[in-house]
Amino acid sequence: MLTAVVTRGATGFDVAFVPQADGGAGDMTYEESLDFCEFPFEEAEFADQYEATGYPCEEGPSPILPEAKELLWGGGSFVVFLVLMRFFLYPKLRKGMDARYAKVEDGLEQADAARAAARAEVTEYEAALATVRAEAAERVDAARATLAGERETRLAEVNAEIAAQREAAMAESRAAREAAEADVRSAVTDVTSKVLELAIGRAPAEQVDAAVADVMNSEVRS
Amino acid sequence: MLALEFPPLNEILRWRDLFPTFNKVAMIAVAAALIGSLIFLIAARQDGSKAPKGIRNFAEMLVEFVENQIIMPAMGRSGMGWTPFLLTLFIFIYLCNLPGIVPVLYMPATARMAIPLFLAVVVWLVYVGVGLKHQGLGYFGHMIAPPGVPAALYPLIGPIEILSNLIIRPFSLAVRLFANMLAGHILLVTFSLLTEELVFEGDNIVFRILGVLPFVMLILMTVFEVLVGFLQAYIFTILAAVYIGSSAHPEH
Repeated sequence: MLTAVVTRGATGFDVAFVPQADGGAGDMTYEESLDFCEFPFEEAEFADQYEATGYPCEEGPSPILPEAKELLWGGGSFVVFLVLMRFFLYPKLRKGMDARYAKVEDGLEQADAARAAARAEVTEYEAALATVRAEAAERVDAARATLAGERETRLAEVNAEIAAQREAAMAESRAAREAAEADVRSAVTDVTSKVLELAIGRAPAEQVDAAVADVMNSEVRS
Repeated sequence: MLALEFPPLNEILRWRDLFPTFNKVAMIAVAAALIGSLIFLIAARQDGSKAPKGIRNFAEMLVEFVENQIIMPAMGRSGMGWTPFLLTLFIFIYLCNLPGIVPVLYMPATARMAIPLFLAVVVWLVYVGVGLKHQGLGYFGHMIAPPGVPAALYPLIGPIEILSNLIIRPFSLAVRLFANMLAGHILLVTFSLLTEELVFEGDNIVFRILGVLPFVMLILMTVFEVLVGFLQAYIFTILAAVYIGSSAHPEH
């Protein structure tokens, strides 16, 4: 029977078809086992071992039990690495990290302080702005009140002036009318006297003139 | 009849020593410690007062990840003093997990029991030590008679708590990490072997075409292993933080 036997070689896995008798060793020679096996038997024990195991190579270590040399090298490497890390490498790295974190934290604190200062300045500015706006509003109100007062005064003066002018105009008008009435009365009296004088041939009595004047006065006035 | 015989499990976990006692797992562990130290050495040498960039940015991101995603949820602000330990734990485990998908290496160092076991014992020692420091012998007293539990339940809860705190916790920490990483490693080996056998060794065109399927699975599993590696490192570290936190503050 042929059995494919796989071993790990220098360039990877080697697969070889090994003639093997059922239940016993095959017919590989010791010289062939030297080429085939990564861990060949000693020549003196080859035949017995091959016969007993049916496998031409020395077996490897137990897959489960730890080997002392691996414990020694593995443990030693870890302990050395741990000591280096614990006492030299990590503290130095951590120191740099802490310094940078402190710097960043300091920068953040400074930024917070600057932000708070800026906010205070903005608040102060807003307060000042509110004060100025209030003052401006007060001044505008005062100016508006002053303007309103002045306007009222000026209006009263103008109204008074208008009233005086109106009064003067009315007086002038009244005087003109009275003068006109006097003229009309005089003219009517004269005409009436003339008409009566023509009618009666003599100048009418003074009482007639007075009566005419009364009628004129009452008629013109009404 | 052709049969694909999967190599013995122990065979895929073995490599020649580069020099006596120093095998691939040892090399990965040493490389993990060196790479982790180098990252933090370069980061620590850069000016920390300026905005971080490059490796320093990466290192600070790791620190903040451990602080914010592991310590704060598991221990609160009082646990910040544990940052170096938990950070080292996380980085070391992740860098030991990662070679499982790195070409040429293709082996997570945590897929062997030694490193998970060692780390679990360290965590165990730390949280027991923290418990004794903060509570004195009351630490063990609280295990036997947990606060808030009715006295009648002490005989039941006490042994469970003692077993859980002193044995199961470190055991589960170690086995969870080891088993997950070993399972991932075996899956990748399985799909690699299937691909090689079908595509390169088969003489049948149908097999060669079918060989694409395990190859696609290999790619997917490789991507998945990136996530698993990170997740296992995270789980191990956060559980360590929870255990230490609960030892320091039993009321939680």
